[in-house]
Amino acid sequence: MSAAPALLLDGVVKNFGLVHVLRDVNITVAAGERHAIIGPNGAGKSTLFHMITGRFPVSGGRISLHGRDITDMSSYDIYRLGVARSFQVTSLFNRLSVFENLRVGAMRNKGAGHAWWRLLDGYGPLRERAEEMLEMLGLTARRNVPAGLLAYADQRALEIGLAIVGGATTILLDEPTAGMSRHETERAVALIRRVSEGRTLVIVEHDMGVVFDLADRISVLDNGRVIASGTPADVRGDPAVRSAYLGAAAEVLT
Amino acid sequence: MRTISHTLPWVIAVVLVLVAPHVFGSGFSISLLCRMAIAAVFALSFNMLMGQGGMMDFGHAVYLGLGGFLAMHVMRAADAGWWIPTPALPIVGAFGGVVAAGLGGLVVSRSTRTAFAMITMGLAEAIVALVLMLPRLFGGEEGINADRSGGPPIFGFDFGSPLEAYYVIAFWALAAAGLMFLFTRTPLGRLSNAVRDNAERVGFLGYNPGRVRYFVYMFSGLFAGLAGGLQAINDEIITSANIGSNAAGAVLLMTFIGGVGTFAGPVVGAVVVTLMQMALGTVTEAWQLYNGLIFIVMVLWAPGGISGIILAHAPLVRSGQARRLVPSYLTVLPGFVAALLGTIGLSENAYRLQSIRGGSPPGGSIFGIPSDPQTMTPWLVSLALTAVGLWLVARTAPRARAAWLEIAGGTQA
Amino acid sequence: MDQLLLILLNGLVYGLLLFMLSSGLTLIVGMMGVLNFAHASFYMLGAYVAFSISTLMNFWVALIVAPLVVGALGALVEQYGLRAVHKHGHLAELLFTFGLAMIIGEVIQLIWGRWPVAYRVPESLDFPLFSIGGTAYPAYRMFMMGVSLFMFVVLYATLARTRLGLVVRAALTHPDMVAMLGHNVPRVFTMVFAGGCALAGLAGVIAGNAYQTDPGMALALGAIVFAVVVMGGLGSISGALIASLIIGLVQTVSIGLDMKLSTALGRIGLHVDGITALSDVWDISINRAAPVVPFLLLVIILAINPRGLAGSRSS
Repeated sequence: MSAAPALLLDGVVKNFGLVHVLRDVNITVAAGERHAIIGPNGAGKSTLFHMITGRFPVSGGRISLHGRDITDMSSYDIYRLGVARSFQVTSLFNRLSVFENLRVGAMRNKGAGHAWWRLLDGYGPLRERAEEMLEMLGLTARRNVPAGLLAYADQRALEIGLAIVGGATTILLDEPTAGMSRHETERAVALIRRVSEGRTLVIVEHDMGVVFDLADRISVLDNGRVIASGTPADVRGDPAVRSAYLGAAAEVLT
Repeated sequence: MRTISHTLPWVIAVVLVLVAPHVFGSGFSISLLCRMAIAAVFALSFNMLMGQGGMMDFGHAVYLGLGGFLAMHVMRAADAGWWIPTPALPIVGAFGGVVAAGLGGLVVSRSTRTAFAMITMGLAEAIVALVLMLPRLFGGEEGINADRSGGPPIFGFDFGSPLEAYYVIAFWALAAAGLMFLFTRTPLGRLSNAVRDNAERVGFLGYNPGRVRYFVYMFSGLFAGLAGGLQAINDEIITSANIGSNAAGAVLLMTFIGGVGTFAGPVVGAVVVTLMQMALGTVTEAWQLYNGLIFIVMVLWAPGGISGIILAHAPLVRSGQARRLVPSYLTVLPGFVAALLGTIGLSENAYRLQSIRGGSPPGGSIFGIPSDPQTMTPWLVSLALTAVGLWLVARTAPRARAAWLEIAGGTQA
Repeated sequence: MDQLLLILLNGLVYGLLLFMLSSGLTLIVGMMGVLNFAHASFYMLGAYVAFSISTLMNFWVALIVAPLVVGALGALVEQYGLRAVHKHGHLAELLFTFGLAMIIGEVIQLIWGRWPVAYRVPESLDFPLFSIGGTAYPAYRMFMMGVSLFMFVVLYATLARTRLGLVVRAALTHPDMVAMLGHNVPRVFTMVFAGGCALAGLAGVIAGNAYQTDPGMALALGAIVFAVVVMGGLGSISGALIASLIIGLVQTVSIGLDMKLSTALGRIGLHVDGITALSDVWDISINRAAPVVPFLLLVIILAINPRGLAGSRSS
């Protein structure tokens, strides 16, 4: 059981009508590994995340988590097994304050459940976790601002925060640094590195600097298939990857 | 500091509720106060769904009605000799409401937004039709009635007098409002806000949004049922009209006019709308038309309701900046008043003309000014007032708005 | 058998009429996300305007002009009302139409009175067309069916063959993408809203005289049209058609059955007896239960599939 990979994608297929988005995706992510998924636009990276986290049903293949089949589970059941994610398009609770967003994010794993017989403020550990997260994200000064009114970079930071505040063992981040400045990206990477310590991280990222800085292993997705998977050095030397990445990103690869 | 600012409104509310019947002591005022209290509980329960949970329930009156019917049956049983004191009836109503919402929620809670609204409406229509088809249980068109003083007396009170009934209703209304306020600060209450803002994301945080909606729907039904129990005590009769779409529309109006964005908004709306209904209902037939017009004007220009307007201006009043707004607001006033008078003139003349056609004696007056709708003058005057008023508002409103933006923006920065 | 044929024919006429209302509403809901509460009010307005025009001139002028008048009113409402509240979100739009329905209802009572008006079937169509088992079938009913079918063809052709139709269909399946289609979206919205209102108005023109034109007609039909749209699946025209026909037929059939539920159950071998508070249910004759039928159907269908008969989107 312990030998089973944290995340195993076995021949995952997804069709939207006649459009084949994922053709045959096989990826193995070991427990504790930082795994990056890269590939050109439209390669199916976000769709893959949606498959893993139960947002859309798969058209074929199996997905398992630590040896347990999660293929047909709902998003919330998958979360309860320890998988949390962020979104490429910021997806927050816009009318709730930053602090309340984080509190909602940590609620499930801090044992608050659907409780209606206790006040939220009575959950000390929950508040502490949210405060700690505010500190880590550098959002303490903005704690009472509604999420919808935050600046873009702060929203992106909170988006990452929502994925990690619950303390999931497997964290999926979908382009966490998209639209961030150089400086903000560095901060975010440092944060991601810190919170993914001892956890399994799967990250979709366009910024090759971030990818090669962070990842233990990389899978390259192109046209709905994995064309290469391995250590950063392996991937860098792979001829198939080079041909898929003719263009701007090729320079980073060399 | 924080506790004071939270408890102070409640202390004021309790004092007001205790003192009100001694200040406005007439039978009419006490009955008005009871109506307000019941409407406030109902509107608060409605806003648990609409404002806090993002669920538009077009059939919410069903839970008030079914809770009321159950309470009424129990009141009849008490009249027949069961030991059930009248002050306990709201609990019975709440029980009826929560059971009904527990069943109804199974059907509606899987849907969201537009579909949710439409399904609640369909469900309500079905239930209203069923209620009319079961006369043995619901009394048909006439409804069922009972005597609230028929239950066992408590400390010598039989709750037959309006004042005694008022205190029962006021106690439960305050208790229900307090509980609903506390609900907003529980994990489930906060989750309902999260589902309102972004149901999908809630799913990726380990919660089934449909389940959250279901639980919140049940709580909302519980308090609506409690309001139904209060109504049973107050009116001593419940009919199918308490269940139907008019009752559901009225609560929507109250909640929206008061403001969905704050906890107290629905209470404000319940008080204002109940007052308007009583006041205008006696002097004008055009109440329905004014209802619709107020609704549209609010949706277009004040979607936050009365409490939204107050909330927007409170910081300015506190910082003393509001005085600077007064001049620009005053410039809008003449046009607004003219348009209002013109609209009233047009509607009242139209209603008057209709009743003259229906056989009433000719002639008539508005605000004591003679106005015969069968002549041209009142129509021309009203039309001119409306047109000039609207034109003035259109000219002055942008400047008032700019002034507000400038001053409000200034305090924020 | 003849009786059944008659009921089926009436059900079909009624079902197609429902479709004329629900097709417009489903386009408005599906494309603009506006749950138009006033939709049935435009239907009522169509009937009243047609009544006035047909007294002043004749029915045939009313048939053409009244839907255009209602459609133009719809365009004004969209342009000066809905568009202004759009920025406040779906809830505000819905409340706006709610207030609008109240106002239309009151204004109609002010102009035309609180009692039914004498809007009659034109004499040229007021004759029995054929008879089924001794019952004469009015020609006007067949005319209604003809108009409905004609509108159905026009609607289909518009959606299938024109650029506007292309945009509308794309918007129905991918509502978030409309803005990216590079079309003048506000104008498309206005046209869809006006078109939907005109269709509702036309339904009022041809139904107001066949049934009854009174201030309660919007309320009576409005809820049923809502049920049809939800049952068919939001934004699905074909779903709306199927649901309209099902509800039209089922409701007409149940109105035609003057039989107690207990008797009906007895026929199929189920016997109910004993008097409880709920036993009134068994004494209800099926035709009196007809008003509930659409809503019970709705609840049943949604319990099976929350997206309705043909809905691909849940909301």
